[in-house]
Amino acid sequence: MEGQLSSLVITKEDIETIDELFSQYLVDSQAKDIILLNKSGELLAKSGMVTRDSAIAVSALAAGVFSATNELAKLLGEREFTLTFHQGKETNIHISLVDPLILLAVIFDNKAPIGAIRFWAKKISGSIKPVLEKMASGPRQEPSQDLRKGLQDEIDNLF
Amino acid sequence: MSLIDFSKSEITFKVVYYGPAMSGKTTNLSWIFRTIPEKVKGQFTSIATETERTLFFDFLPVELGTVKGFKIRLSLYTVPGQELYKLTRKSVLKSVDGIVFVADSNRDRREDNVKNLEDMFKNLADYELPDIPIIYQLNKRDTPAIMPVGELIDDLQLKGKHVYLGIASSGVSVMECLKGITREVVSKI
Ligand SMILES: Nc1nc2c(ncn2[C@@H]2O[C@H](COP(=O)(O)OP(=O)(O)OP(=O)(O)O)[C@@H](O)[C@H]2O)c(=O)[nH]1
Ligand SMILES: [Mg+2]
Repeated sequence: MEGQLSSLVITKEDIETIDELFSQYLVDSQAKDIILLNKSGELLAKSGMVTRDSAIAVSALAAGVFSATNELAKLLGEREFTLTFHQGKETNIHISLVDPLILLAVIFDNKAPIGAIRFWAKKISGSIKPVLEKMASGPRQEPSQDLRKGLQDEIDNLF
Repeated sequence: MSLIDFSKSEITFKVVYYGPAMSGKTTNLSWIFRTIPEKVKGQFTSIATETERTLFFDFLPVELGTVKGFKIRLSLYTVPGQELYKLTRKSVLKSVDGIVFVADSNRDRREDNVKNLEDMFKNLADYELPDIPIIYQLNKRDTPAIMPVGELIDDLQLKGKHVYLGIASSGVSVMECLKGITREVVSKI
């Protein structure tokens, strides 16, 4: 199914909507960071103190953890685990499935009770879902012919 | 699956180094990490066993530069080659845009190369990604008991494919392979 899509396109409007949602939830939930990523490990959006570099690494690892957990699920005869949660001394991370291709990672400090973490993760997922649906169904912005040609011509200069 | 982000004017491609255990996949990524300038590389993440064998994957994000106002980024991954980690290999391959298959030129690794390549094509078929660009690095050309190139090409059915001869531990063909696969994935967009 994924194979038929050659690229995932995010527009400026998509990101603005997501950023706005995340900023609000960051305040309401008192989460440290909210990270949106796809199942193959790419960072789509992030909000909070986390740097872009760290968020990129977190995305690769979170997707890895999630897919490993799902192989476990299959071995145990379960179709899919829809969330994983890791608890540390200072920090917790909650990773959950938003739609078939997209994951949400929410990072809290340790003062947040697990019930609240689950509540907020669910709530953020719920409000991000329509945005993702719109993203998937809306008219696709395509890379221009000019960009395509530029890539072919200039790739050698990038190294 | 490449990621085109118009809000940041960025395109990200996922490239996976695939191949049998100990063929030199992690060595390729380490070389790239050591060679490229500080400001274009992200964090190098490596999940390995105590003995440096890849357990899960290695991950290195690289920023290549700007074309027509778009930043071109690569997410480089390696898979664990050991037979044991079959399922992990498959999961790392998810939504891949291009592959560097790193084969071990040693004669006694002949069967491992063939088996691992078959495993890769099976995974690509499962993900419905039959036309993904793949280039081949025949690595460890500096070791004593290597197979002649022609024989390796026959064995792995690489006639007409992009083939590079590598010594990843001293950087031979590492950057050439990276450039080669980048050219291929970019042409698919
Ligand atoms: N002589 C020689 N040694 C190499 C070469 N490339 C890699 N090596 C060595 O081979 C060993 C295994 O290399 P890795 O890069 O860890 O192999 P890998 O493919 O990542 O292995 P897995 O993670 O188990 O799948 C290391 O000791 C490397 O230093 C080469 O071209 N020549
Ligand atoms: Mg390795």
